[in-house]
Amino acid sequence: MIKQPCILNDVTRCIGCEECVAGCKRVNELPVEDSAPRVGSSSDRLNANRWTTIIRTESGATVRKQCRHCIEPACVSVCPVGALQKTAEGPVVYDSDICMGCRYCMMACPYGIPRYEWDSVVPRVRKCVMCYEKILAGEIDKPGCVSACPKEATSFGTRDEMLAEARRRIAAEPGRYIDHIWGEKEIGGSNVLYISHVDLSFLAWQELSQPGGDSPLPERTWHALRKVPAEFVGMGALMTGVWWVVDRRIRRQKESELQGGGADHE
Amino acid sequence: MSRRIQVFKGILWFIVGLAAATTIVRFTRGLGTTTALSDTTPWGLWVGFDVMGGVALAAGGFVVAAIAHIFQRRKYHHAARPAILTAMLGYAAVAVGLLYDLGLPWNIWRPTVYWNPHSPLFEVAWCVMLYLTVLVLEFSPVFFERTRFSRLYRFLLRLQLPLIILGIMLSTLHQSSLGSLLLIMPFRLHELWYTSLLPEIFFVSAICLGLAMSIFESSLTAWLYERKPHKEMLEGLSRFAVGALSFYLGFRIFDLWRQDKIAAAFDGTREGGLFLFEITLSCILPLIVFSIPALRRVPGLLFGAAGICVSGFLLNRINASGLAQIWSTGSNYFPTWTEFSVSFGIVAGFALIFFFIHEHFPVEPDFKDEEDQFKKLQLFELPHFDHVSRVWLGDSNFCPRRVYSFLFFTAMALGFTMTPWNTLVESSPVTRARGGQELLKIGYPIGTVDFPHKAHVDRIGTQQCFVCHHLHKPADEGTPCSECHADMYLETRIFDHGQHIALLATGNASCTACHAEGQPHMGATAKACSECHQKDMMTANSQVREFTHLDAPGLRKSLHELCIACHEREAKRVELKRPDLFRCATCHRTPLDHREQQRRMRASETLVSFRQGSVTIP
Repeated sequence: MIKQPCILNDVTRCIGCEECVAGCKRVNELPVEDSAPRVGSSSDRLNANRWTTIIRTESGATVRKQCRHCIEPACVSVCPVGALQKTAEGPVVYDSDICMGCRYCMMACPYGIPRYEWDSVVPRVRKCVMCYEKILAGEIDKPGCVSACPKEATSFGTRDEMLAEARRRIAAEPGRYIDHIWGEKEIGGSNVLYISHVDLSFLAWQELSQPGGDSPLPERTWHALRKVPAEFVGMGALMTGVWWVVDRRIRRQKESELQGGGADHE
Repeated sequence: MSRRIQVFKGILWFIVGLAAATTIVRFTRGLGTTTALSDTTPWGLWVGFDVMGGVALAAGGFVVAAIAHIFQRRKYHHAARPAILTAMLGYAAVAVGLLYDLGLPWNIWRPTVYWNPHSPLFEVAWCVMLYLTVLVLEFSPVFFERTRFSRLYRFLLRLQLPLIILGIMLSTLHQSSLGSLLLIMPFRLHELWYTSLLPEIFFVSAICLGLAMSIFESSLTAWLYERKPHKEMLEGLSRFAVGALSFYLGFRIFDLWRQDKIAAAFDGTREGGLFLFEITLSCILPLIVFSIPALRRVPGLLFGAAGICVSGFLLNRINASGLAQIWSTGSNYFPTWTEFSVSFGIVAGFALIFFFIHEHFPVEPDFKDEEDQFKKLQLFELPHFDHVSRVWLGDSNFCPRRVYSFLFFTAMALGFTMTPWNTLVESSPVTRARGGQELLKIGYPIGTVDFPHKAHVDRIGTQQCFVCHHLHKPADEGTPCSECHADMYLETRIFDHGQHIALLATGNASCTACHAEGQPHMGATAKACSECHQKDMMTANSQVREFTHLDAPGLRKSLHELCIACHEREAKRVELKRPDLFRCATCHRTPLDHREQQRRMRASETLVSFRQGSVTIP
């Protein structure tokens, strides 16, 4: 597999035919969704058997939503057992044999991507894996969604190639695009990039433009976690110290009480 | 044994019974059937209350142990053992709660083998495991105090101080790490709760909650067992609580001021109101009672204030881990009764264990005083049969085990009655065969149902399709029965409330589209589906009832109602000369022989796949 594989989605080219959804299902052997969506499911229609989907915005644009394969993924950093892994090549993959089902990944993902098999007694986390194993095994050369797209609205290559391609397209037709590549810098950047004529910040839970929006999320927890050893030892030292001081004082008090014949009660 | 404790235990057994029913459904049918969790709200009540809240509730163990053994205030030695017991049971309850909440609970041991030190949850898991061990060792002298293992007892006693220090170290880590857990959710958590100081806030609030819980729990046991509370100790604890609570309140306000967010609490949003409510419960009300000596000396007031304080901090944990994320993520999560029953059931179960240990082991050194022993003797060892007067006195009033079991099993039965049927029974889905000569999949024990589709069309005409196809999907000429009657025997919920909300409008404006204003919002008062779905629903001349029901009956029931009524009518028409139309065997054939079955199976499969477009017949 190529290093840092990357998907570039061009919102202006997408016609919303959902061939990518069908292609994804074909390659990943996902069943047809024939039951009604679970109450409270998100409106984007992503679910355990639908790893990519098309969102229609109010302005009529069609935007494909899928896992972003972040450069520094929050889901990977929070998984207590490491069931989610960022592979050496780049895609974020999941190992259901290790998972214990805490669903912290689903809480941590800023884009709200991982889905759960709620109706199963042995549930798994499901999300796009960029067809990692299939491509690694050489069965296919690009992800199912990319090869299914009839309008080349989604393309596949290395991250540098795709960034260059995105810049080239924006430069070639500046009136057609907003001059921004979504996924280049947001929350540390991702391996799925978007260029678009509409604002795409709705793909994350809240506006990404808030302060610190470009720093990767795992930094925030690591900032607290790296203090842990110092806190642990420090608290131990503090408590032992307090005990020692208090104990000495009590002992002295007793001694003085014995010497003074208990006259000094304070 | 006072009356109070018996009634209280009875209530607890009832709650445990409800939880027992839920437990069976949870572990046989999965999270989806027992919880309202969804992809947008993957953490619900079980994480917020049982795990986050449980760990915080058990903080009394390390706080009181520190006061009693590190700062060596002799006065609080009374409180230390019950607090450590609460902590030990609290952590055990957290572990049990996790077993319910984890999707794959049998993998709960995994963090011991597969490490990811970057995950706050990994750290919490390790700390909780170690701390639970420490707590058991800290508490174990109590079990050995009255036994003959005096060497072991002395050894454990000598371990106390290092264990208490280790316990405080571990608690500091994981109480604050529960806050770090949420640091990764800046996009979900509302700004009033999200701050880079979350770990510190969680640690300080754990200390406050620990103190409040100690006051609450010792007042409660004193009240339940009708003993005098340790007034001096409780007052001391409440003085400590005043210090901790004021520090916490100041810290919270400072933190908001630092980020310039104070205005967000008063902007009239739901989160703002929730925040003010939480602060009022957790800090302001308890502070008023705890800081005024005249008020805190009234046991009832002190008990109430401690209870309010405890619930306020529990609300804080629930808010941070879920409630304050619901509106920002646009989900509409509200826990199901099954979630509540498990959450309260675990608390009730461990409260029962708490009382058991309290009654049988020297948790509070002065608990087993002589008077109490005498009471016990009187109550439990009354003869059932008076040998002198030869009169059968009947059961002793104080044989409550029978009442407890009755309450437990009643509650369990009630729990099962409230569980929807289709979560308990294995479903038997209906095949999607269309237009074939059979309605049922071949291979059912009853064989097959013969249904000449063409003959029916010829007889009743093409304008009458809606007699059977009474609900049409858009752009579909003949929606199959299995679309709604998806199961052979069970009802299928075909009305998607969420979908209607999403399609009609955003927010509350969509309610009035179906529910009349000023009336309770429920299915019975909603307007009929056909008012909007005129095109899709051909109910005018149909055999079936008006489509007002949200649940479609099972296929067997619905087909019986549909076919039999018509067949009966037709069989009575003399000119048709078909009296056998109304006989079961007309449609229900005898089981077919094997080869015939195979042939029909292949035929219907080809037909199905042809209809689905995956096979072309040459």
